[in-house]
Amino acid sequence: MTRIVLIIAVTGALGGLFLYGLLRGEPDRDIRSARLDRPAPTFELPLYARYQAEFGPTFSSAEALGERPMVVNFWASWCGPCYEEAPELQEAWRRHGDEVQFVGVQTQDRGKRTEGRAFIDQFDLGFPNVIDDDSRLGIEYGLFGVPETFFVRSDGTVMYKHAGPVSLDDLETRIAELTAP
Amino acid sequence: MSVRTAPHPVRSPFARIAAALLIAVGLASGSVAAQPTAGPGAQIELESTVFDVGRQLRCPTCVSESVAGSNSAIATEMRSEIRELLQEGRTEREILALYRERYGDWILLEPPREGIHLWVWALPAIALAAGVGGLALLMVRWTRASRAAEREEPLDPDARRRVREALEESA
Repeated sequence: MTRIVLIIAVTGALGGLFLYGLLRGEPDRDIRSARLDRPAPTFELPLYARYQAEFGPTFSSAEALGERPMVVNFWASWCGPCYEEAPELQEAWRRHGDEVQFVGVQTQDRGKRTEGRAFIDQFDLGFPNVIDDDSRLGIEYGLFGVPETFFVRSDGTVMYKHAGPVSLDDLETRIAELTAP
Repeated sequence: MSVRTAPHPVRSPFARIAAALLIAVGLASGSVAAQPTAGPGAQIELESTVFDVGRQLRCPTCVSESVAGSNSAIATEMRSEIRELLQEGRTEREILALYRERYGDWILLEPPREGIHLWVWALPAIALAAGVGGLALLMVRWTRASRAAEREEPLDPDARRRVREALEESA
């Protein structure tokens, strides 16, 4: 009798572990970024024309950091969830753009300038958007896919990475953490 | 042109064929043709090493595919970066360390043989040893039980007589 109970218990435990592995959602999304609490890669990349009057032909993250924290959002013109989150990012920038530097990075989207421009125009994105044509910046940030949003402290270290579409609530929470004294 | 400083591992025929295919693709796209100083041998060597490194890295946007085996945009860019790093003289180990710094251990298709990951390598051996040991113990127990049963239950005298008669008849 004891033996039967033992066999059932072991089989149940193994089966439970198997089911947990199958049903635990999107494990890749939960992977902790290796960049957390370490310096964010700095970059200088070409800007879309509509931002060049304010920033010049390129945007340099090194110049922006040191003064205020930064929100770096990676997107692509083919990415559905990126369209979902763009209005939220625009609204967060409208509310906090003076205390946090927002920057959008078009990545994994080689040569898609027209589509990128259309994406920016569709949401009338006010914060600078740069072109990571060879996706090297995305690779340097350890990007798994798009969209992903990195919250960078003013000292240049990464505080948090959000994988998937970011909501206004998420942005408010993280920006509050970023700007807390 | 020296493209690598690490000891060279023995490569499988599959790796050679894959390298040749990569070169064909590279030549078609002009990326390999942009190295006028490299001869065909050096290019094969380089592409073979790109394949070797890519085979050890997980494609970040794919499911169960290596950087060497994926055609996704990011895997293509990663191979391109690996090629450039090798041309700069970085070793395989240095390139893997660089990707590990960016993506963590997740990026490695084979878990590193250190720290907590040692369990992944040790557990199969431990399980095998436990299985063999358990089986051996069971066999010893069964043998002993069988012998004990023989000792405890002497043959029925009537059955013994019948066996003896049968043996005599057959003789």
